[in-house]
Amino acid sequence: MPQNDTITDIGLDEYQYHFITEDEPVFRSGRGLNEKVVREISAQKDEPEWMLDFRLKALEIYNAKPMPTWGGDLSNLENVLDQIYFYVRPQEKMERSWDDVPPNIKETFERLGIPEAEQKVLAGVGAQYESEMVYHSLKKEWDDKGVIFDSIEDGLKNHPELFREHFGTVIPSADNKFSAMNSAVWSGGSFVYIPKGVELDTPLQAYFRVNQEQMGQFERTLIIADEGSKAHYIEGCTAPVYSTESFHSGVIEIVVKPGAHFRYTTIQNWSNNMYNLVTQRALVHENATMEWLDGNLGSKLTMKYPSCYLLGEGAHGSVLSIAYSGDGQHQDTGGKVIHAAPNTTSQIVSKSISKGTGRSTYRGLCQVHEGAFNAKSNVECDALLINDTSRTDTYPYIEIEEKRSNIGHEATVSKVGDEQLFYLMSRGMDEAEAMALIVRGFIEPIAKLLPLEYAVELNRLIELEMEGSVG
Amino acid sequence: MAEWVRAADRSACEGDGCVHAVTPDGERIVLARWEGEIFALEDECSHQEFPLSDGSVENGQIECVFHGAKFDLRSGRATQLPAIKPVKTYPVEVREDGIYVQVG
Amino acid sequence: MEGVTEHLNSDAVQALASGEPQWLQNRRMDAWASYERTPMPTTRLEEWRYTNLDRKLKLDTLEPLGWIERSFSKETAPDRLVAEMEADHESSGHLVELDGSVAHVDLDPALASKGVVFMSLRTAVTEHPELLEEYLATSALPAERGKFQALNAALWTDGILLYVPRGVQLEHPIRVSRWLSESGKALFSRTLIVAEEGSQVSYVDEILSDDLDVQSLVSSAVEVFAKDNAQVQYVSLQRMGRGPFHLSQQRTIAGKDSTLDTLNVNMGATTARLDLNAQLVGSGANSDMLGLCFGEGDQHFDHNTSQDHVAPHAYSDLLYKGALDGKARSVFRGIIKVHKGAQQTDAYQTNRNLLLSETARADSLPNLEIEADDVRCSHGATVGQLDQDHLFYLMSRGMSREVAERLVVIGFLGEVLSKLPLGGVVAKLSRAIEEKLHG
Repeated sequence: MPQNDTITDIGLDEYQYHFITEDEPVFRSGRGLNEKVVREISAQKDEPEWMLDFRLKALEIYNAKPMPTWGGDLSNLENVLDQIYFYVRPQEKMERSWDDVPPNIKETFERLGIPEAEQKVLAGVGAQYESEMVYHSLKKEWDDKGVIFDSIEDGLKNHPELFREHFGTVIPSADNKFSAMNSAVWSGGSFVYIPKGVELDTPLQAYFRVNQEQMGQFERTLIIADEGSKAHYIEGCTAPVYSTESFHSGVIEIVVKPGAHFRYTTIQNWSNNMYNLVTQRALVHENATMEWLDGNLGSKLTMKYPSCYLLGEGAHGSVLSIAYSGDGQHQDTGGKVIHAAPNTTSQIVSKSISKGTGRSTYRGLCQVHEGAFNAKSNVECDALLINDTSRTDTYPYIEIEEKRSNIGHEATVSKVGDEQLFYLMSRGMDEAEAMALIVRGFIEPIAKLLPLEYAVELNRLIELEMEGSVG
Repeated sequence: MAEWVRAADRSACEGDGCVHAVTPDGERIVLARWEGEIFALEDECSHQEFPLSDGSVENGQIECVFHGAKFDLRSGRATQLPAIKPVKTYPVEVREDGIYVQVG
Repeated sequence: MEGVTEHLNSDAVQALASGEPQWLQNRRMDAWASYERTPMPTTRLEEWRYTNLDRKLKLDTLEPLGWIERSFSKETAPDRLVAEMEADHESSGHLVELDGSVAHVDLDPALASKGVVFMSLRTAVTEHPELLEEYLATSALPAERGKFQALNAALWTDGILLYVPRGVQLEHPIRVSRWLSESGKALFSRTLIVAEEGSQVSYVDEILSDDLDVQSLVSSAVEVFAKDNAQVQYVSLQRMGRGPFHLSQQRTIAGKDSTLDTLNVNMGATTARLDLNAQLVGSGANSDMLGLCFGEGDQHFDHNTSQDHVAPHAYSDLLYKGALDGKARSVFRGIIKVHKGAQQTDAYQTNRNLLLSETARADSLPNLEIEADDVRCSHGATVGQLDQDHLFYLMSRGMSREVAERLVVIGFLGEVLSKLPLGGVVAKLSRAIEEKLHG
């Protein structure tokens, strides 16, 4: 019989994104968060007065809100936050051509395969390094059709009215402690506008890289998908491994107008010293569709629950997530769907794998308001445990006020079956191969929705992680 | 039956932006002043039942301090997520001897 | 200090404690100190998220019901209490508690001679202090478990002790009938059941009242111990009238290879809160946890359950169902907790809710916390309306919509009852559900 209780330490050694780029930032704030830092960031960005006021008010809210006592272990976070740099400006200005990006930074993204992917499969690319977008580019055909894909700072500068109409309306600063923090110190991220009826046939991608030690990254993204449009946005995240802890807290606001279809994919592979506390929310109007595809593989602790507010009749929302928690990792993820209009539908599918001392938590909300008749929602959570030191939790909240609705939630927890392993090994596979095959089968329903290149990458990661998981 | 009850002294809600919790007749009501006018709303956010009287008033709206939801003072309509549902509003009269609200 | 009032205070505790043995006095005073220290739960606490005590419980005016020497006779007892007692089938013993004081106990003499103890808690203080000292508000429901656990441990006036010695098996259930008549009062009662190794017992507790104009609080603390190989069935039927706030706190502790099943039925009261923690401490322990509620008007039911797997090779299966009409609301918050090392746990949890009106509401939070890998755990929750296919089928067979709906609701709730066939309980509850459906 195969044994899967002897686990060798994997993870850090095999984390393939650990490389440090030598560079000298052009500006760096002091450590910790205070009013001075907030004013510095705003001044560096040469912002209008209202944005500085917005930031300062958010800082007050942040200071007033207690640290969450639920979710992951945040007991040491205040110490970490005192030590990190909240703003690091890597270069003078954002570039539109890779040739103009400083060579060491450019090389970083080349090692991550970004320019190559851009040429082959993407409609546009944004690349963030430390606190700023260093590169942003959109293919000409989409530019010609009025698509806007820019850094958030340029969104504010070049499209002030559209920006102000939506910024902070989907996720108010006071939503939670970390949305308040992001609202105070946000820097980098994308501003996206897809005009009415425009359908992008290839994805837009933003890539987030943290290079420096003890760094905080606070990207802010605002996306407006106008009526009848269709687009797919992908974000990827990595960082080198340091012995100290780093921090990433994004706020992603999305407005999906009537009849539009938007998909937001995250492949999060932060290093295992990263706190990743993100707020993502979409407003979904009549007959529009919002899909969150959320892959959480890296970080020390992730707390992230992408949500869909189904405000218009016939709106559809889905959250499909894969979480992988290896030694020392805690993925506290899930999704929220709020049915506030009739004939709205939603689906949450969550698959998690916990290995070694990893812990995966599903936390979700399904809410149906009175009057949202014919609302349908289905939630499925499956957790796979690889070792007896792994842990999984499931915390769904189901709040139903409408009789004419149909709401279901199911969750299962299981381990990789010895019979399954035995069967595959009898077919000549070694244990690691068999384990990887089983895990791949487990996540396949979600992985198959990824663009091919990402699905391949995900499978490769799983294989790497499963090596040495059985002894 | 709807009846007028005295909710507070006139001095309890002076100055724009003033927010004051009262419980006339056992109902939890928040009085809020904006541009010289006093409004009365149910003192409970429709999102997670947090008292609105802990929040602040700006641009004719009251903001819940818990998650940033906002409500229009006049209509009680939710104007900012995460709230979607309205809160109840009450008619207000400022009389010689105090602020009255119509409850029930 | 939150929750310390004109009537609920240390003087009240002292008055109860005076004349009691020192260990009990100390236990009450320690519990009171714990009560004073513990803040009143608010909706910001996960476990109280959907029940706003500030709104639902008017503690300030409640006067505790003191102990009074009472007797029971069918002639003077309330008609409803007598009717329900007569509907019960045979029993091994019967106890009646009126407004918090035990008024009558009888026990099959053959069982008494085998060492079965069934008596009021107050009597047990002098007759079986060793049992109370060991088990009462100690390992199962100590004051430290929460604000209201502490309040009950400090202020209980009476209650029930059932002790079944090793190997003794009771053929018929033990039946307890409790009655509340007074408005504006707080009633604190405790139940302690200890089933020794290899013993077997079924216990049915029914609490009833008229409709009350002013809220009363009924606090019931229930501790059940099933030792190795014991088999215990505990049933609680809450069928009070409108007005009361019922607070039922239960902990069951299941030993090696024991079976400890529970059924909690909530039909009455204006607000009913159940905290049930089933702890499986011995390997091979087995707990079926059943519950149903049927609400209408402005009734509010809040169920907070946990399946606490401490030992390996244990099994638990929970099924709670709710049907809600009018503006009624039910909350189910349940957790399966598999502790480290509790390998080969089988634990399941199902919560199903039926909304019968436009204004009813159901909240469901089925939680899992799993710290062992070789387990089989799953949970499911659904909220919806009456099964339309079912309804149309019945109507196609000539039934009116009203009758068909009634049948579907009975079928829906009946699934729970069918899992615990116990003398008279099923028939009694089926009738109660029908009565409620007829309004």
